[in-house]
Parts: sequence; structure tokens; C-alpha cells
Amino acid sequence: MVKKKYLLSFTPAIVNEPLTYKMIKEYDLLVNILRAEVSERGGRLLIEVEGKPSQMNKGISFLKDAGVEVRELNEYVNRDEDRCTDCGACLSICPADAFEMDKQTWKVLFKGDRCIACGLCIDTCPPRAMKLRIW
Amino acid sequence: MKRTYEEINEKIKKGDVVVMTAEEVIKVVESQGLESATKEIDVVTTGTFGAMCSSGAFLNFGHAEPPIKMQRVWLNGVPAYTGLAAVDAYIGATELKENGDLDYGGAHVIEELIAGKPVHLRATAYGTDCYPRRSIETYISLKTINQAYLYNPRNAYQNYAVATNSSDTTLFTYMGKLLPNYGNATFSSAGQLSPLLKDPLCRTIGIGTRIFIGGAKGFVAWEGTQYNTTVPTKNGVPLRPGRTLAVIGDMKEMSTEFIRALYFHRYGVSLAVGIGVPIPILDQEVMKFASLSDKDLFAPVLDYSLQSRNRKPLKEVSYAELRSGSIELFGKKVKTSSLSSYYKARVIAEKLKKMIEEGEFLISRPVQPLPEERSFKPLDIRSKEEV
Repeated sequence: MVKKKYLLSFTPAIVNEPLTYKMIKEYDLLVNILRAEVSERGGRLLIEVEGKPSQMNKGISFLKDAGVEVRELNEYVNRDEDRCTDCGACLSICPADAFEMDKQTWKVLFKGDRCIACGLCIDTCPPRAMKLRIW
Repeated sequence: MKRTYEEINEKIKKGDVVVMTAEEVIKVVESQGLESATKEIDVVTTGTFGAMCSSGAFLNFGHAEPPIKMQRVWLNGVPAYTGLAAVDAYIGATELKENGDLDYGGAHVIEELIAGKPVHLRATAYGTDCYPRRSIETYISLKTINQAYLYNPRNAYQNYAVATNSSDTTLFTYMGKLLPNYGNATFSSAGQLSPLLKDPLCRTIGIGTRIFIGGAKGFVAWEGTQYNTTVPTKNGVPLRPGRTLAVIGDMKEMSTEFIRALYFHRYGVSLAVGIGVPIPILDQEVMKFASLSDKDLFAPVLDYSLQSRNRKPLKEVSYAELRSGSIELFGKKVKTSSLSSYYKARVIAEKLKKMIEEGEFLISRPVQPLPEERSFKPLDIRSKEEV
């Protein structure tokens, strides 16, 4: 089993089709919706997908064939290391525990792989060190 | 066992002074006892790096040709106070840019000046016989202006509240983002490294005490505003916000490593200031307090959804609990966040230690002690006759 995060962009023409549902059902994938948005420009969906690698590849191909733009995301939030003061204001806000206090050095560690791109840390950070890279 | 300021300074000059940070000394006292540690250690260094809203800078721009008596001044669009002389101004850290944004203010101007960046100056005037000019627009930097010094009326708070939120909506406060239903708790003091917690009665800290401020050597100028000695104590240390310091230091010697502009979402701008204070170990009592650890120091948990000055603490928690990552409230585990940087507090205490060891920083006897008794008065609506 592998776990990956994808940003899906739907054109207005295909926004009404339950493509994500079809992908889940057809290819037996576990999907967690992290962010969703629909506007006049279409729809965007940030999902975390878990499943067998072969099924996952087929599922993603299915979406692409249906006209969905698929972008794999590895980094959702950026930290400006110069601005970060290692205060830890982000620690109690992050629902995914993507921030950890190193109790030896008292520096704040950012575990990007745990990040679910909710963006809650962005306006929590007093020195403004966190930047969202998507949306 | 007694030790004088003069003895300590002699040792600093000779290079055989024994200095430890407030964190290091805890272990020494634990392992070898108070008496022996007092004999061995001359100075304990403290540090803190957190939001200190009550900060600002006095600037003297020099005279223009023809001269101007500045009546209104904006620095990068942020108004500075000019009710001083012709070309002096005070820029407050929390003053906001006049374009309606909450996220750029005096603190940013101060940080940019310290970073050596150019800052836009605009001034207007009514014109006088000796100061005919009515307006000026130019750029300044720390290199081009005369004096630039921080004068912060209330810094280095002795203890502070732990903030939480019982309501069902998120609150945006100067204590950061507070999640609904006790979703988190935030605190600010550096605890066992914090200057006024390690000398709780201010036996060694007073007017004229030489300190580390923003990377420079500065001084305690006065008692800080809202200085308060009438608070309950535990282990001899205030359990509530107590004493404060007014501090001063030369911006031209400061570094953005220890001065940082902050923005609290939907609240406003503040300035993170790094302050370190040396505590000369004059006797065993001074050492006893200097070696208190996070588990001996407590802060009150306050519900910030109650918009009143009279809110009662929900409970008191130790800094050891706060720093563990969570505290318990009503049987629920509540995640904690520090708003001040313990990492930077440690860097400051270490740096101050090194400066003293290398003979660059002498200890100063206060010119005058800070008040032993001072209460913190509320502001009530009163008639002329009642005041």
C-alpha cells in the first residue's frame, strides 16, 4: 500500500460528474478529502489516496483520461527558515501534528510529509514564516 | 557567603569569572547543593524572546535644507509620533500603516531599520519663521540618521497568563489563535530562563542594570509600566503578571536575530524583543531563586472568551507542564503552544554568558532599586470629584 497526495483540477464542464467516486469504487482506493473548492473556473480537490500501487496508477490514469488535471503534491506548505523564530505557536494549531518541538535543541521541526495542507498554520505564525504553496 | 558587584567585576576583568545560564545552574544546584553552587558560581544569565507590544524607537532624522519642523511623520507609511522637537519622532511598535492593513506596522519599520534597509520618510509641517519647509519626502537608514534607540516602556514581564478559549468560536488574540472549546492553550514566558522569574524580588535588577537587548548592550531605564508587586506567589515567585522593566538600547548595535516584527492575525502588529539579564549571585538567596526550574514556576490559565479584566484563573499550571506539549483542563488533554521562543531565549542566555566570560560585559549595581511595593490600578469611569 502507498499513500500519496494529489491536487485535482476539474474544468467547469466536468465539475458535475462524480469522477472521484467512480475512481474510488472502480480501483478500490481509500480517499481522504483534505480541501475542496468550486468556483466559476471549475473545481479543485486536494486528496490523500491510499491503495495498491498498481490500482493507484490506474485510478489516476482514469481521472486524467476523463479530463481532470492531476498534480502530485509533496510540499504544500513552505517554511521561511530565516523568519521562523522557533516559538512554537504552530504546535497546538496543526491538526496533523506536522510540527514537533525538539526537546533537546528547542527548535521547531516541520514534518512536511504529515502536512494535510489545511493552511491553519499560515495565519497562526506571528513572524509570518509559513507560506501555502497550493490553491 | 556574600559576594559584591566589585568582586564579580574584578573576576570578569581577570578572566576567571564563573558564569552559568539559568538552565545550566538548575542541574548544578540539584547535584551539588545550594551552598556549594553559590560558592562556585558568580553570575547566572537569563534570556527571553517574545512579543513585547510596549516597544518603540526614538529617532532623530537631522535637519533638512531649508529646515522643517515636522508635524506629521510617516515611515514606510506608518505614522510616527512627532510631538517632540523639530526632527525627532517616536515610532511605536504596534502603530499600523495607514492603508487599513493590520499586518504592517511600526515593528516592521524597526526591523527593517535594524536590517540596514532604506525606509521611506514623509513629513509635513505648518511652516514657521525658523522652519519654513512644509513637506519632505526622502529615504533614511540607520546610517543616515543621528540617534536611533529603542525605548520600551514595558518589557520582560514577570510571568504571564496562559490563554485558552471556552467559547465555540476561534478567537484571534495577542496570545495567538485560540481554538474553540479549549482546543489549545498558549503561553508566553520563558519560564526558567525568564529574567524576572529568576530574580523575583528584583534584588539585583534595578535602574541602571546593564542588560542584553536586541543584540546590543542596553540598560534598565525605569520600572516598567503596569509594574505590580501585589500578586500571589508560589515558591516566592509571582503566580500572575507582576513586575516589568522599561528598557533602553542603541538600535545601531542591534541585530534582526533578536528583534523581529510579528503580526497576530486579526489582532495587529507586535515586536519580538530579545532580552537577557545577568544575575550576580550575591548570596545564597539570590542563587536559590536563580536555580528554580520550570516545575517550580507556575502560571494562571485564563479563559480569553471572557472579555473582562476580572476573569479568574481556571487553574495554575507549571512551566514544565506547559513545555511538555499539553496541559489538562477539565479532564481533557489540551495542546500547548509557546509564543515566545525558548530556543532564542537560550541563545541569548548563552551569548550573554560568553560576553561576560570574555570580559566584554560587566555587571552593574543598580543606581536605584525598583519599587518594593506597587499596585496595578484599574481604569474605572469616575467623575471629576471622585478622582
